[in-house]
Amino acid sequence: MARKIGRREFVRKSAQAGLTLALGAGLATAARAAAPKVKASIVAVGIGGDYEQAAMKAVSLLGGMKKFVPKNARVALLPNVQSRHPGSYTKPEILRAVIRMCRKVGAKEVNCLSWLTVKQWEDTGLKAVIDAEGAGLKIFEKDEALFKPVPIPGGQALKEARILAEFYGHDLLINMPITKDHAGNKFTGTMKNLMGLNSPANNRTFHRPNWKTDPNDVAHLEQSIVDLNKAVKPVLNVVDATEIIVTNGPFGPGQLMRPEKVVAGTDRVAIDAYCAGLWGLDPKDIVQIKRGAEQGLGQIDLTRVRFREDYA
Amino acid sequence: MSRAKRKERGAAAALLALVLICAATAAAVCQEGPLRAYLPGGASVSGWARDGGPQEYEGENLYTYIDGGADIYQEYGFTRVAIQDYKSAAGKSASLEIFEMSTAAAAFGMFSFKRSGSGKAVALGCEAELESYYLNFWKGRFLATLTGFDDSLETVDGLLAIGAAVDAKLPGGGGEPPLVGALPADGLKPGSVKYLKGLLGLNNVYPFYTARGLAFMEAVRGLYDSGEILIVLDYGTAEARRAAWLELRSELESSGRFEQPTNYLTDAVVFKDGKGQYLAFSESGVRLAVGIHSTLEWALATVARAR
Repeated sequence: MARKIGRREFVRKSAQAGLTLALGAGLATAARAAAPKVKASIVAVGIGGDYEQAAMKAVSLLGGMKKFVPKNARVALLPNVQSRHPGSYTKPEILRAVIRMCRKVGAKEVNCLSWLTVKQWEDTGLKAVIDAEGAGLKIFEKDEALFKPVPIPGGQALKEARILAEFYGHDLLINMPITKDHAGNKFTGTMKNLMGLNSPANNRTFHRPNWKTDPNDVAHLEQSIVDLNKAVKPVLNVVDATEIIVTNGPFGPGQLMRPEKVVAGTDRVAIDAYCAGLWGLDPKDIVQIKRGAEQGLGQIDLTRVRFREDYA
Repeated sequence: MSRAKRKERGAAAALLALVLICAATAAAVCQEGPLRAYLPGGASVSGWARDGGPQEYEGENLYTYIDGGADIYQEYGFTRVAIQDYKSAAGKSASLEIFEMSTAAAAFGMFSFKRSGSGKAVALGCEAELESYYLNFWKGRFLATLTGFDDSLETVDGLLAIGAAVDAKLPGGGGEPPLVGALPADGLKPGSVKYLKGLLGLNNVYPFYTARGLAFMEAVRGLYDSGEILIVLDYGTAEARRAAWLELRSELESSGRFEQPTNYLTDAVVFKDGKGQYLAFSESGVRLAVGIHSTLEWALATVARAR
């Protein structure tokens, strides 16, 4: 069941649950420390027309969800729910697979966090899955008070992110974008999806005033995305590359391509580089991927990445 | 007061009341947004009914509706959009978006940007394309986009029926912008023409990785049968074109992304990009043309055809 949480209720609950949040933060640290690390540059690919099975296959190729989600963890999920045009949002089947895998390894709570509307979650079929699986959907108003300022010490374009405060009541994040076209910078993947946790007002600063896709504007947008990724690190990325729009993105409708793949791993740069290649883009031409690699977020050279691919 | 005078005053009061009612009604319609009048009601599309109420966004508020995808509409010139969902008796869904653009050229441009060119031409508006689960057409300053959520016959028939109802309501007509005529028709792939108004559109058809020398007024791109690409950029004045070409050429010469091979065939300036494609340039009047192909000969032949 979706719940819309306003500022007042959020502040009240936060005050009541101050101790819980503090403990939650402690648990988060402990959980991250306890979670066994997977070798950085391994990318797993589950293939097949049954997208739920493909997602399960991809995660199993990495050693299973138990490598990422400790028992009793509070898990935050971030699917892409921007539009309901085919190929522009994370498939409900993939969300179902991830919720089930989290539950199977003993996650205490699994919640999708969002500042988008309940209607968007309903239209994409994602809310129906959340309800059916007994997971949580926490929808927040676009109120800056509900976002926590997070300094980014190494930020070049973005010095401070504003992340949904509720996120910090969770132990870990599983990032669940769909890879697709973006009219401005040509590519959406794991790194860009984190804008879904950042406040809309802060996201608007990624686009310069009178944005015209001057390369300097694109560089500012891309660097802001890279900086945001320095502030938040998902414990796992599960990317929908099953049926994707490769024109008129990110909103669509657009031309569809059907690689029928689910891509999983911890290295956001490597995953994005692989996904860009699925539809003929050179990762080095995508500024966020190139800069992400240059600034230590991951491996762009796919010859140095270990791939584990299998049919579901 | 005479009976005639009373009658005259009564008529004036009635007229005033009518004017006030009309004004109030007009204000209400205005508040609801002018595009609502073009959204078909349930009765006008057999088997389909409205699902929920309409949504409307104007100007900068488009970012609320399509954050991340609004910029391209703004580049062409966006005024407002109305969105209405529909549902069939069998439970199929469709979504209608009517975009009002600032000009007919902007509506055609956005249509050309959105279509893939591999869909089916349909007789709606000035030009329409149906591809799988979605239908786009433009008419006057308007662009209609209808999206189904599967490509079943019932859904596609629904899209066409709703599209026809919208077409009947939308005012205006018009043809393609004159610059499209710069692309020779012989060998031009149907549906491949893109009409561009800025860098965002251009970067999606060919990325030069620079803004220098690319402040054009309008541009067109066409694909041809043997894989040739022809882009024609219009700078408005010959002086602006000359300055822009000097700037762009200088940028390409100093860019690590392009090399300058020897052109032993003509006087045209030629570059080669990192993917092995040749770019042959020619300038004339207010226009700069670029022929692109994997062979030098075809790139030169293509740019020579620009009209």
